[in-house]
Amino acid sequence: MNRRNRIVLSCVYWAFVLYVFVPLILMILMGFKDSKFIGFPIRSWTLDWYTGVFEDAEVLATLGYSTAIAVLSTIVAVAVGTWIAVLLEGRKFIGRTAIFGLTVLPALVPGIISAIAFRIYARWLGIEPGMGAIIWAHAVHNVPFVALVVMARLSTLPKSQIEAARDLGADPIVAFLRITLPYLMPAILGSSIFCLLLSFDDFVRSFFLGGYDPTLPVLIFAKLKSGMSPEINAIATIALVVTAAIGIWAERFTRRLNKDTQA
Amino acid sequence: MTKLIFNRRRFLGTAAMTGAALASPAYLRRANAAGGEVNIWTYNDFVPEAFKEQFEADTGIKVNIRLVDDQGKQFNLLAAEAPNPSVDIMTVAGHRFLQFIESDLLAPLDTDRLSNWGKINPTFSESDWSTINDNKWGMPILSGMEVLSYNTELVSAEEAQSWDTLFSEQYKGQTAYVIQDMISIIMLKMGYDGNMVAYLDDPEKAAAIVEEAKQFLIEKKPLVRKYYDGGAELQQMFVNQDIAMAQSWNGPAAALITDGFPLAMTIPKEGSYGFVYTFNIANNAPNADNAYTFMDAILASPEIGAAMTKASGFISTYKDASNYLNDVDKKATSFSDEELANLQFFRAEANEMKYGLVDPAVEAIKAA
Amino acid sequence: MSNDAAARAHSGAVAPGTGERTFWGRLTSWPLYQILMAFLTASPRRQFLILAAFPLIWVLTQHLGPMLQMLRVSLTDAYPVAPGVEQHFTLDNYMRFFGDPIFWQPFFRTLTFAGVFTFCTLILTYPVAYFLARHVSRKNQMLYLLLLLIPFWVGEIVRTYAIMILLGNTGAVNMMLKWLGLIEKPIPFMYTSFSMGVGIVYLTALYMLLPLYSALEKLSKSFNEAAADLGAGAWTRFRRVTLPLTIEGISSGCTLVFLISTGFYATPVLLGGPSTTVFAETIAGFFHVAGDQWPTGAAFATIMFLTALILTSVFQKLMNALRKGDSK
Repeated sequence: MNRRNRIVLSCVYWAFVLYVFVPLILMILMGFKDSKFIGFPIRSWTLDWYTGVFEDAEVLATLGYSTAIAVLSTIVAVAVGTWIAVLLEGRKFIGRTAIFGLTVLPALVPGIISAIAFRIYARWLGIEPGMGAIIWAHAVHNVPFVALVVMARLSTLPKSQIEAARDLGADPIVAFLRITLPYLMPAILGSSIFCLLLSFDDFVRSFFLGGYDPTLPVLIFAKLKSGMSPEINAIATIALVVTAAIGIWAERFTRRLNKDTQA
Repeated sequence: MTKLIFNRRRFLGTAAMTGAALASPAYLRRANAAGGEVNIWTYNDFVPEAFKEQFEADTGIKVNIRLVDDQGKQFNLLAAEAPNPSVDIMTVAGHRFLQFIESDLLAPLDTDRLSNWGKINPTFSESDWSTINDNKWGMPILSGMEVLSYNTELVSAEEAQSWDTLFSEQYKGQTAYVIQDMISIIMLKMGYDGNMVAYLDDPEKAAAIVEEAKQFLIEKKPLVRKYYDGGAELQQMFVNQDIAMAQSWNGPAAALITDGFPLAMTIPKEGSYGFVYTFNIANNAPNADNAYTFMDAILASPEIGAAMTKASGFISTYKDASNYLNDVDKKATSFSDEELANLQFFRAEANEMKYGLVDPAVEAIKAA
Repeated sequence: MSNDAAARAHSGAVAPGTGERTFWGRLTSWPLYQILMAFLTASPRRQFLILAAFPLIWVLTQHLGPMLQMLRVSLTDAYPVAPGVEQHFTLDNYMRFFGDPIFWQPFFRTLTFAGVFTFCTLILTYPVAYFLARHVSRKNQMLYLLLLLIPFWVGEIVRTYAIMILLGNTGAVNMMLKWLGLIEKPIPFMYTSFSMGVGIVYLTALYMLLPLYSALEKLSKSFNEAAADLGAGAWTRFRRVTLPLTIEGISSGCTLVFLISTGFYATPVLLGGPSTTVFAETIAGFFHVAGDQWPTGAAFATIMFLTALILTSVFQKLMNALRKGDSK
């Protein structure tokens, strides 16, 4: 019974994997097409698009720039989002609903609107367009996701654990750092990956708040103007390989970290 | 291969710059002493890389290029930065001038400061759309037009002579167009002024015409496969054979032709509209002097114009630029005189009235 | 388990006394830290205020600030303001929506699409999340999850074009069907609500997967085993135990996906057909095509946003009631 369930479920999982990977495989395939346009049939193959990307300093710089923005904005978003989640979860106080509403607000605003609102607000605050402004906008936009995911996890933290720790004399900060935070780690890691994705993929905020250096999606949009060429697929594939490698490395790293703390 | 092209482009740029330097040595030397930078918002491939490098080397002015992909976004961005923009030169389409001018975002162009102004084909530099409030506002660089593009394996050249084919039952589910653009063409096809300048004094007539075009497009909605927005979408639809023909700009279609796709384009007998991309100087541009230096330099040689055409697929506004194109490029970027006779330019004078009527019509067609 | 953790925290706090110099011991015995703690925890009230101050300031200035600006714009008659033009406050931008039925169709269509796609995403991802959380060994869970996340690292546009060459007339699916001899003429998948759905679920799956996974992951296996001991079948166990206990994850996932779905722009525009126009396109039209209609665009965005917010809070209330009803 349980066995059959397991088989059915694993089929569903792998079918889902297939669904998400097929477009990806097509994308990678098209990066090798010897034509200015993607699509079937592929008559001849080439590596020129790839060599072109590696010779193109602009693309490489853009990759680094986008990565830096993603990482920095994620750090800010995770810190702020976790703080807000700790405040909101399991507490009743006047204005809680209002703060919760405000917290999720940036996630609900359509991209174009939020980008323009950020742009106007940035000018009002005197923030110059550029890397700092993009990081700011991405961080604000991502805070709700961190807060929601962390809150969901926090709601399941057995109260007794914290109480036991407090009874034994741990102050709130130590109790938070030694019990709550480790318990939240899966949620924090999950939402970090999520934030990295959102930032890396964001076009409209990056466009409105950016300066003269394009982020990767901004560059791709500009290149798209002259056609969806295999070059864009090559760029995206390289970005994918790099980020996937970092993701797997991070997974390994946290796994080792977990082992160390357990030992 | 890549290297060869690079060298050739570089050579073109060098040759052009040598010419420019000889033509106005004093001017450039002054700029050279000034140094500094110039900030440009433009489309990908509009400023040839080789030219940019040569210009920077010759003048000491650093060229910062920010890529834009849409006129509306460019407007929004500039509006958000006004009145102290970070940009010197933008790339505005001629028929969008008025919007920028009314919002005080553009500075009038002082053509006396451009010694090479005369190298632009007067069709573009002296056309009816180019002078607004007795001023010139932009320097024409590339021109595009609305064409009927079609897959030559599926549609015959005779059929493509008329916009009607786009709405025939025979090609049901195999056509695509941009609604905004199509409304102007439908008005022209029905014998009206698609720019609506003729009806500035008669708003009722204008409204009736737009209504007629709207009803036509709603009636034909079951036949269309896709209302699209961007050139890349159009190309993908052709490549995937989702469509057999479409109303399109010539640029994206030209790129398909040069890549060997069985595509052709025509300006149908009912006529069509063209537009011109121009370099414009922003109001309160931080480096206006450098902007003039840059614009004068890029005008210096038709070879630069040809390089821009090759990279973008749009038609150069420079005199004699086509002398520097090969046969395939020429095929993809030239039309017969007969066809060109049917072409009119988009004009901005009546835009407020026109888009006040057309935008709701577009919403209604999409909602229908 | 809970006692272990408490003991770990405790060991830090008392470490100085036992001579065990852990990091936590050193930290808590550091005088400066003790002074700080004494200040922070002087009273529960102060503790709370300090905890609340930063989030409050943050959400007010960073989350609300930009939106208030937008709201202000939606109430004006001209933006950006050209020099010499006087700006007036007006409700016209809102009235425009209620006065013109052509805006209603994309509006309700968007809400319907968002609802349907949210449901589809839930149905598709729940088994996936369940499999991940319950049938994959704990040490591999992160890896399996990452496997699903990797494709989302490809930008929306590139991925959308990949879907075009998957579903186009000469696309991979049609080629496959032809090769199998199932069809002679290609099936026009593209530019329909089907192709749009394929693209949208791609975007929303991630937003659904993570809350579901974290809700399922925390569900201890012992619950189910206890139920099995009592003789409950697999389906009953799922319906009576697993499902109610993951309602919170379902509710937050659906809320997230629904709200985000109402704002999708690029994917519906690129993959949709002539009759699938969504409200985001209408809104974007006011910013793109006619650059001087920001106020109307802002007003329409506000309407969409408020409607979606009301709908999701009703939904959340329902889910909460369901959960409470079940746990009784």
